[in-house]
Amino acid sequence: MTSRGTPSRFLQSVLQNGVGRYVCQLKRISLIFSKKAQSSLGVREYIEEGVVDFAKKNPGTVVYVSPQSCRIPKIVAEYLNGNVREEIVTAKPSREVAALVQKLSEQSGLDIIRIRKPFHTSSPSVQGQWHPFTNRPPSIGPIKPQDSQAQ
Amino acid sequence: MSSFTKSAQQWASFARSWFLIDARMQPPGKIATMCSVRLQGKHKPIYHALSDCGDHVVIMNTRHIAFSGNKWEQKVYSSHTGFPGGFKQVTAAQLHHKDPTAIIKLAVYGMLPRNLHRRTMMQRLHLFPDDVLPDDVLQNLTEELPQPRAVPRKLSEYTQEERDAFPMLWTPPEDYRMK
Repeated sequence: MTSRGTPSRFLQSVLQNGVGRYVCQLKRISLIFSKKAQSSLGVREYIEEGVVDFAKKNPGTVVYVSPQSCRIPKIVAEYLNGNVREEIVTAKPSREVAALVQKLSEQSGLDIIRIRKPFHTSSPSVQGQWHPFTNRPPSIGPIKPQDSQAQ
Repeated sequence: MSSFTKSAQQWASFARSWFLIDARMQPPGKIATMCSVRLQGKHKPIYHALSDCGDHVVIMNTRHIAFSGNKWEQKVYSSHTGFPGGFKQVTAAQLHHKDPTAIIKLAVYGMLPRNLHRRTMMQRLHLFPDDVLPDDVLQNLTEELPQPRAVPRKLSEYTQEERDAFPMLWTPPEDYRMK
């Protein structure tokens, strides 16, 4: 199957292509787990060990810990652009849960789909990026019409 | 490596330049070719059809353009008003007399691609019939482009010494009648 039928977007960035400053895009993260179920063992361990540290390290993110009677523990991440990602963490050890929470907090919240025109270079220019005054002869003072320059 | 910060580099790369072209004694087609490239942004290494990276072009002295051949009388500009019998045809000289910027404007408009950006790019073209430019335009200029044709000097612009030093092909006899 060709990739033409799959959803796609152009490359974009919440940082406005380097102009803006870094803002953590993860707004809210909720850990939904069961107090008793075996499948939530890893999440319960993570809550005992690591979730307080995570919340202290990320003051811009709200962390909810909600025990519910559920068999399938989930991590629900909500982003500043309104996107919500649900990750199932059934029977995952606490190490993997911690890695997943860390990954969710570092993501931008944009859909992870095929990117159109994925321009990329593995050898960025050492001369610096082009701007309108590269390779342009220098001029003294403001540009004026020739006639008024002669005067 | 450049000493810019990343944000300054970003603004610099996508900043719009303002080019100045002096159209005195220049063929309108040559001027329009230079303009259409710059209005589309095709002179930039970062050019992309979707990124709207065209520059501004200021053309002065459009009143003093020079057509070659018999184009002032022979070249016909046609338009239709939409009403019955509304087909208008004017020669280049008549159109130029009515609006001294119209010939350059039509030439550039004809050389731009026929798409939705065409009117936007035309808005970045600034035409002035004489060499008087408003201050807000003068402050924006970043580069003056060289004229595509060398302007020939008139006989009145040569000094008497230069005229005397011009080599004579033959020496006229004493009784030769210069008309």
